[in-house]
Amino acid sequence: MSEAQLVMRDLELVYPTAGVGPLNLELSPGGNLVILGRNGAGKSTLLRSLAGLLTPRSGQVSLGGHEVGAMSPGRRAEHMAFVASTPPRGSALTVGDVVGLALEAGSKSAGPSDVAAALEMADIADWIDVQLDTLSDGMAQRVMMARAFNQAGSMVLLDEPTAFLDVVGRREVMHDLGKWCASGKSVVLATHDLEAVEQAGWANRWLVLRTPEQGGSLLLDEAFNAQKARSILTGEA
Amino acid sequence: MSVRQSQMVLVLLMVVFFASGLFSGPAQLDWSAEWAALMGRGDATTQTIMWRLRLPRLMMAAFSGAALGLSGLLMQTYFRNPLAGPSVLGVSSGATLGVAMVALGGASLGWASRNMGMGSQVLGALLGGGAVMVLLGLVMGRFRSRTALLIFGLMVGYLTGALVTVLQAGADAGALQAFVHWGMGSFANGGWSSCVFILVALSGSIVWTARTCSQLDMWTMGSLTARTMGVDERKLTWSALGTAGVLAGLVTAWCGPIAFLGLATPHLVRATGISGRHSKMLWSVVLTGGALALFADGVVRWAGVPLNAVLSLVGAPVVLLLIMGRGPFGSAGKTGARL
Repeated sequence: MSEAQLVMRDLELVYPTAGVGPLNLELSPGGNLVILGRNGAGKSTLLRSLAGLLTPRSGQVSLGGHEVGAMSPGRRAEHMAFVASTPPRGSALTVGDVVGLALEAGSKSAGPSDVAAALEMADIADWIDVQLDTLSDGMAQRVMMARAFNQAGSMVLLDEPTAFLDVVGRREVMHDLGKWCASGKSVVLATHDLEAVEQAGWANRWLVLRTPEQGGSLLLDEAFNAQKARSILTGEA
Repeated sequence: MSVRQSQMVLVLLMVVFFASGLFSGPAQLDWSAEWAALMGRGDATTQTIMWRLRLPRLMMAAFSGAALGLSGLLMQTYFRNPLAGPSVLGVSSGATLGVAMVALGGASLGWASRNMGMGSQVLGALLGGGAVMVLLGLVMGRFRSRTALLIFGLMVGYLTGALVTVLQAGADAGALQAFVHWGMGSFANGGWSSCVFILVALSGSIVWTARTCSQLDMWTMGSLTARTMGVDERKLTWSALGTAGVLAGLVTAWCGPIAFLGLATPHLVRATGISGRHSKMLWSVVLTGGALALFADGVVRWAGVPLNAVLSLVGAPVVLLLIMGRGPFGSAGKTGARL
């Protein structure tokens, strides 16, 4: 899977109705984007539009030159993976099953040795036969992260992945994302976890979603600064 | 016990149940005569009993049990609900209404024979069951909880039950008797042709499930995760519900609204420790369904009670154990509630 560039062109989302666009942005392979915004600002809507799950009100999202909405689900899955804020519950799959399915979804070879290697790399080799459902939220989220990393050829989208994690868990997730960027995967992260992002140190591009009334959305090309982000979000800047 | 070993045990059980059904019965024939008839020799009556009554009935039980088990597995996976099954979600009720319209409504209009025109009955069951499946697919997005889905099934059951009662009130005695008898459930109603129909549907469904295993696995992690892993939600919805509906509808057409088999079979498989990947569960569910149905049919012949009475006596406690958070075999409790 070749690495591909994500492009948003005059993007307007279906939600919020007041509009946070038009959004224009190019993200090169290995690049990162942190999406900020208050509750209901449209962070999840943007992520779902990027993932091709929601049709934007207007404008385009393309990956490697192809419009994501027009790609087949299978082709999209080869390129990008998605991590939600809570790991799924109620599935009887084991950790090994989940990572095996991820490799399959990414059109990579998914034999027992491939799965073992992937688990080894994510440092969760001991859990191979453990059912996902018996793990704590934090542990299960680590599995979902390993799943995303092994599936995605170019990009991982994350929707508040640390929302339910403790301090150590948050730090680990943010640290991993830095490693992913270094390995050439693009990371698009929606989060409220300003301190953890700043501490991890890799974020250098951030988008604050705001309605025209709040001053419109802002794109900043600079090292992430939690203090500054907070004052923009609270409207004090 | 590995998956392979447990499947061997299931095949063995099926052979034992099948053989015991083949070589026993109210006719009190002796072994050599039965064997000769199977080989195409001996007197015509014995040949008729073996080839026209016992064999098709046992085949029907094996295929129908397998079909209902697979139908139940697909519904539990699709709705991510361990209590889903053809008899719980109203699919059997829909099929029953379809059959009632043909058998009772049709009879009073004079366009169906008293002993029920099989072709139109099958069509009625498929349309009735299919309509409920389509309705489920359309409204399930509005249901926030698993409980809502089960209440939906319950209400569909009440609605169709009321309409069936109306049809029954206006039906003539002969049609009514045939319909009530059909409702008790039996594997003895079909013939060879119905066996072929169900076998074809079952084979097609097994092939489809085998090819869709990974997608069904992904679906158990929720639709958002599944969709971002390459599952085409619309396609999976219609093919999974269609497959589950056709299997349940066909079996209902010939055997009546069979209780609990579709719901309980996947849970029995999970209770033996086989769960998770559909590639692992598929054949175990098919074989367990077949073996259970053959066993239940044996009890029906031995005790002389209707099939649905036998299945409800066993199935209702299984569901109660499930709700109380225990697998049918206690120790497997935690896997019981999972898919």
